[in-house]
Amino acid sequence: MPHSNSLPPKENALFKRILRCYEHKQYKNGLKFAKQILSNPKFAEHGETLAMKGLTLNCLGRKDEAYEYVRRGLRNDLKSPRSDKKYDEAIKCYRNALKWEKENIQILRDLSLLQIQMRDLEGYKDTRYQLFILRPTQRASWIGFAMSYHLLGDYEIANSILDAYRTNQMKGPYDYEHSELLLYQNMVLAESGQYDRALQHLHKFQSQILDKLSIKETSGEYYLKLKRFKDAEAVYEDLLKRNPENVMYYQKLVEAKQLSDPDEKVAFYDVYKKEYPRAIAPRRLQLTEACLPAFESLVDEYLRHGLHKGIPPLFMDLRSLYADQSKADTIEKLIEQYMDCLSKSGTFGPKADEVKQPASALLWTYYFAAQHYDYKQDTDRALKYIDAAIDHTPTLIELYIVKGRIYKHAGDPVRAYGWLEEAQAMDTADRYVNSKCARYMLRAGHVQRAEDMCAKFTREGVPATENLNEMQCMWFQTEAAAAYQRLKQWGEALKKAHEVDRHFSEIMEDQFDFHSYCMRKMTLRSYVGLLRLEDVLRAHPFYFRCARVAIQVYLRLYAHPLQDVPQTQEPDTG
Amino acid sequence: MNIRCARPSDLMNMQHCNLLCLPENYQMKYYFYHGLSWPQLSYVAEDEKGHIVGYVLAKMEEDGEDNRHGHITSLAVKRSHRRLGLAQKLMNQASLAMVECFQAKYVSLHVRKSNRAALNLYTNSLGFKILEIEPKYYADGEDAYSMMRDLSAFAADTPEVTENSDVKSDNIVVLPTRE
Repeated sequence: MPHSNSLPPKENALFKRILRCYEHKQYKNGLKFAKQILSNPKFAEHGETLAMKGLTLNCLGRKDEAYEYVRRGLRNDLKSPRSDKKYDEAIKCYRNALKWEKENIQILRDLSLLQIQMRDLEGYKDTRYQLFILRPTQRASWIGFAMSYHLLGDYEIANSILDAYRTNQMKGPYDYEHSELLLYQNMVLAESGQYDRALQHLHKFQSQILDKLSIKETSGEYYLKLKRFKDAEAVYEDLLKRNPENVMYYQKLVEAKQLSDPDEKVAFYDVYKKEYPRAIAPRRLQLTEACLPAFESLVDEYLRHGLHKGIPPLFMDLRSLYADQSKADTIEKLIEQYMDCLSKSGTFGPKADEVKQPASALLWTYYFAAQHYDYKQDTDRALKYIDAAIDHTPTLIELYIVKGRIYKHAGDPVRAYGWLEEAQAMDTADRYVNSKCARYMLRAGHVQRAEDMCAKFTREGVPATENLNEMQCMWFQTEAAAAYQRLKQWGEALKKAHEVDRHFSEIMEDQFDFHSYCMRKMTLRSYVGLLRLEDVLRAHPFYFRCARVAIQVYLRLYAHPLQDVPQTQEPDTG
Repeated sequence: MNIRCARPSDLMNMQHCNLLCLPENYQMKYYFYHGLSWPQLSYVAEDEKGHIVGYVLAKMEEDGEDNRHGHITSLAVKRSHRRLGLAQKLMNQASLAMVECFQAKYVSLHVRKSNRAALNLYTNSLGFKILEIEPKYYADGEDAYSMMRDLSAFAADTPEVTENSDVKSDNIVVLPTRE
C-alpha cells in the first residue's frame, strides 16, 4: 500500500523530468511532461503529477488552475517521500491563490491543514482566525480557533474562546462530543498551571462528562498539585476499586498519604493486599519498598505463590529487585532451599508442617533458578538447572526459549537459535515463539533463514519481506539492518534502514487526515497527544537503531569507497 | 505489571506487540484511528521498564442507536507474560469504558476456530457466548467464531465489578506437567 501510487518505469522517468524542469525553472517543458503522464487514462489522477503540475502552473502565474491541481494532487496522494517539501510548496501555492480570493473557505481550510501538518503555528492561528471570522456559526471554526491559541501556549485566549462557544452554542442533550470538549477545555486550564480553576471547572461540569475515569484521574492529579492530600486520597482509593492493577494509583496514594518511611509503605501495601487479594500490583510493589529482614518473608511468600501456581514470568517480574544485592542474595538462598526441599520431600521448606507441592513446583523452581544464574552470568549453573527442568518436563516450550537465551548471553548466537528452533517446532501456531526464533537467527547472521521463519506467518503469495514491510514490521527490519551490517552487506543494510525511515515518514503523513477528523469527533485531548507524539516521533528506539546503522555504514563507505562494483544495490533514497 | 488506559504515544508500541504475537496485523494509521476515535477503549499492560507486554485495541460499532456495542479489534498478551490474568483484566477495563462513555450494551469479537486457548478464555473467564460461525473470516481461509458478551453487569454502575467478577486464571497456556 505505501507505494500504490508509484508509476511504471516510463512514466516514472517522465515524472523525474518534471521535477528537474521545476528545479531549473523550465516550466513549459515541465507541463509538457505532465501532460504526457496525465493524458494516459490510467494515470489521469496520479497525485504527485497533479500536484507538480499545479506547482508549475503556480510559477507561471496561472494561480487559479495551480490551486485546483495542487488540491487534486494532495487529495489523491498524501503519501510521498518528498512530502515535507511538497507541503511547503503547497502552502506557498495556496497563499498565492488567496491573494486572488481572500475569502475562499475551501482554500483557507486546506491551508490550515497544511499549516498544522507543518507546525506553522503562527500561520495556523492566522488562518483559523480568518475561518472564524468568515464562518462564526460553525463548530469547527470555534474549535480550530481555540486550538490554534492552545498550541501556541496562549491558554487564556484558548479558554475564553471555548467558554464563549459553550455558553453560546451548547444546548443539551449532552453527548460524548460535548463531554470530550469539556475535558479538552479542562486540559487547557491544567496546562496553564491553574489547577484550582481546572478543578472547579471539573466539578462544575462533572455531570456532563461521560469519561468518569478521566474525571477521577485528573482531579486526583489536581488535588496533589494543590496539596489537598485528604481529597487526593479519596480519589485514588476510588480509582483502585476500579483498577487495582494500576501502579500509578498506588504511588499517588502513597504521595497523598505522605508516607516516606519504608515500614509505613510496607504496612500500606498490606492493606491493599487484603483489600484486593487477586491483584498482583500491591504484592509486587511491596517487595520494592520492603527492606531486609522483612523482605525475606514477603518474597518467600511471593515466590511460593508463583512457583506453586506456575507463573512463567515470575523471574522477569522480580528481576528489577536484583539491583539491590542483598535482595538478590535472599532470593538465591530461598530458591536453593526450595530446590533442595522439593527434591527431597516435595515441600518448599524443611519444617514438618509444610504443605506438599505438586510436581510442577520443582519444575518452575528449576526454571527460575536457570534464569537467576543466567542473570548472574553463571552459565554453567544456568545450564545445569535448565537441563534439570527439561529432564523433568521435556514438553514445556518456555524451557527451550530460556536455554537459547542462556547461550545468547554466553556469546554463542548459533547454539542460541538452535534452541529457539526447537521451541518453535513444538508450537508452530504461536507467532511469539516464531518471531523470537527469527530474531535469534538474525543475531546469528542467518537472514534468509529468518525470512523463511517469518514467512510462516506472513500472507501467502508475497515474499515475507514485502509483507513485513507493508505491515511496518520494524523489529524485523531493524534487526535485519544490523545483521546485514555485521555481514558487511552495506547495500542491504542501508536498504533495510531506509525502509524503516520510510515508515516514520508514513507515520508523519498519517497525521494529515486526523487534523479535520478529530475536530469533528471532538477527541481533542488525544489529538493534541498525537501532535506531540509526531513532534518527537523519530526519537523512537526503532528509528534510533536504524539511523545508527545507516550512519555507520555511510561513514564506512565514505572512508572505504566501494571499488569496481558498478552494480551495487543502493536504494533510491530520493 | 501495570494496567492503564492507552495513550497516543503507546500506539506504536502496541503495533509492535501485535506484530510479535499475532498473525493479524494493521498499519499504524489503523491504530491511530482507534486511539483518536475512542481514546477511552484501548488498554495496555506494561512491565516495569514501560515495555508493553499486552494490549486490547477496541472500538465502537455505531450502527444505530439501539444497537450500540463495542468491538474488540485485537487482544494480545506476550507469551512471556501469560498466566498473570492480563488478558482478562485488560478486557474488563475496556468493557467498563465502553459502557460508561458509549452506553454499549454488549461487546463483540472474532476468534479463530482453532484457537482453543483464546476460546476458553472468552467463554469460561469472560462470559462470551458464540453467536455464529463466520466462514473463511481470516485471510488464510480459517473460519471465525463471532462472539458476544452482555455488558449489563457493568452498566449497574459498580466499578468494583472488575475485581469481584469471577476471576479464574486465564488458561491460555495449557501447561503440560507430569504428575
